[in-house]
Amino acid sequence: MVRRMNELNTFLFNILLFSLFFNVGISLYGIFARPSLIKKIIALTIFSDTANVLAIIVGYRGWPSPEQPPIPPVITSTEPTSEDLIRFINRAVDPLPQALVLTAIVIGLAVTLFLIFLTLQVYRLYGTTDVRRVARLRG
Amino acid sequence: MYYLSIGVLVPSLLGLAFVLPLLGMIIKNIRFFHAYASITSLYALIVAAYNFNIVVREGPKAYPFGGWWPPIGISYEIDEINSLIALLTASVMFLITLYSAWYIRSLKDAPYYYTLLLGLEVGMLGCIYTGDAFNLFVMLEVMSISAYALVGFHRNKPEAIEAAIKYGLFGAVATTIYFIALVFIYASFGTLNMADLTNKVTLFWGHNLVSGLYYGQIYAATAVALALSLWAFTFKSAIFPNHFWLPDAHPEAPTPVSAALSGLVVNVGVYAIFRFFYTIFNPFSLMSDLRDMILLVTLILGLASGLIGAFMMVVQDDIKRLLAYSTISHIGLVLIGLSIGSSLISRPDSQAFVDGLTGAFYHLINHSIGKSLLFLASGVIIYMAGGTRKLDELGGVARKNPVLGIVLITGVLQLLGIPPFGGFFSKYLLYVSYLEAGAPYISVIINIISAVSLLGYVRLLYSVFFIIPKREFVRTSRLPLAVLLVLSVACLITGLLSPIISYWLRGFVEATTSKDGILNYWVQGYLVFWGG
Repeated sequence: MVRRMNELNTFLFNILLFSLFFNVGISLYGIFARPSLIKKIIALTIFSDTANVLAIIVGYRGWPSPEQPPIPPVITSTEPTSEDLIRFINRAVDPLPQALVLTAIVIGLAVTLFLIFLTLQVYRLYGTTDVRRVARLRG
Repeated sequence: MYYLSIGVLVPSLLGLAFVLPLLGMIIKNIRFFHAYASITSLYALIVAAYNFNIVVREGPKAYPFGGWWPPIGISYEIDEINSLIALLTASVMFLITLYSAWYIRSLKDAPYYYTLLLGLEVGMLGCIYTGDAFNLFVMLEVMSISAYALVGFHRNKPEAIEAAIKYGLFGAVATTIYFIALVFIYASFGTLNMADLTNKVTLFWGHNLVSGLYYGQIYAATAVALALSLWAFTFKSAIFPNHFWLPDAHPEAPTPVSAALSGLVVNVGVYAIFRFFYTIFNPFSLMSDLRDMILLVTLILGLASGLIGAFMMVVQDDIKRLLAYSTISHIGLVLIGLSIGSSLISRPDSQAFVDGLTGAFYHLINHSIGKSLLFLASGVIIYMAGGTRKLDELGGVARKNPVLGIVLITGVLQLLGIPPFGGFFSKYLLYVSYLEAGAPYISVIINIISAVSLLGYVRLLYSVFFIIPKREFVRTSRLPLAVLLVLSVACLITGLLSPIISYWLRGFVEATTSKDGILNYWVQGYLVFWGG
């Protein structure tokens, strides 16, 4: 049973990693090849979200065993005993990537908002958000 | 034990910058904002000079934020090279802010303009001072967002908006790619602190580390991380395959911003390449063969962008576009100098190694001063010629104003590399270093780049100086000319004092890139905090 669970775990983990890198490919295709600015921005958010999930995965701890899944990096008792600390160190996921991702999300929000404003301004000035037509209108 | 001035500069400057939009709601007098921005950037210059003085007296120093000691919290670390580049950045930014008071005299959006300009300065100083690879990402974003917004500052001008969206979209991809590189670094080394990473990659001290030792396949992960971060840094410094945004973005920005982008922002990418491949993944590290390959790649990219920038300069008919291509060419030259550290080209303690790096940083300084001088001068020229940027329509502007003419010739000679000016000595050092390293064909290519770019500069000088003026030009005020004179005196100083400057720079490079220097970077950035 435990072996089956571990195999399943590995399988799911590999699918996750594969889909992350597949996502990177798709989103880069979207950014570089799609003509619509809105679609480019959507692809950019997919790209940065993929990077964020990758960071979260790095902080994730493979299950110590199926009966003992990892716990959030929070000590629940106010006066932790050494047993609590040992349990915490052995099972808690790494909190640092989560802090990094939080920062990256906030920065990504600012960049996305700015790009959307620029797209709106492109639409006001050119009447289209298609980069091919924008290039043609510019002459 | 540590100096407050190292850590306090960037956050306080950020606060001073972002209070401006609020002040803009209360205060309607535009002169207040000119004075405020100038005083703020003067403050940054004073603190940067103080930090430089600390390093010269006592060597590298670190500042841990919030009392969390280095591998746990964020720390800023200054050493000889980065405090020098920060001093350069702060001083040129001070002059650019002064010039802005003339340039945006009639603009209603002055508080927003100055917020973004000071935000750009904060981002650059943060990138340069930081001792933490993730904080470098954050500061790159602070710098980049300010830069995107400044490029699109004339928001009703279609070309500016188009250039800004091109720069912003691909810039966001580049910084996200750097974030992925950081994920790989964190996954394999368990830390993002630069001093701690330096130790783990070089293994000065291998036991009882706060952040563990290695996780997984560090060699493969490092290869991926270095390749990805090189992509991001070459984007920020506009090296050949990633230079496509620069000729659109730099000319469309307001002229003082063009000067800041072309003269200073590209330096940050070059500095990050230096920090990654000379301090963290240094010549003595466990994975030095990866580093050697990457530096060979940067050598090829540097040669390519030097040549492409020089050739594209010749065919431009827009004065700001011509200067933007010249930036690509000069950053290519700086990168050629930085690439000498590959052990396939020179040994780490050899004369060629030190000469090449000295030449690279000397050229970086010369280019920053000369290029911001030329961009600021082009702002005056465009104003006097009535808003046109076409070289053919400038028609001898500089003849009407002798000060402008002298300043322009100074800047061109500085970038071209004619003896009394600094550009000659730095190009000469680059040339000599590759001769010493036994790669004379690269020295020849450096000469070819200079020779080709001569054509572009001659076109510039011809259209603004050698044509007899036929029409009337607008008269300009004294403030921009005073700023330009200060910069041209700086050009002359970098040339006349070249023995002293190159001696100092050589000392800085030796102190930073020798094995003792790298050890000291780690000791000051990590070990002193843990009682070592």
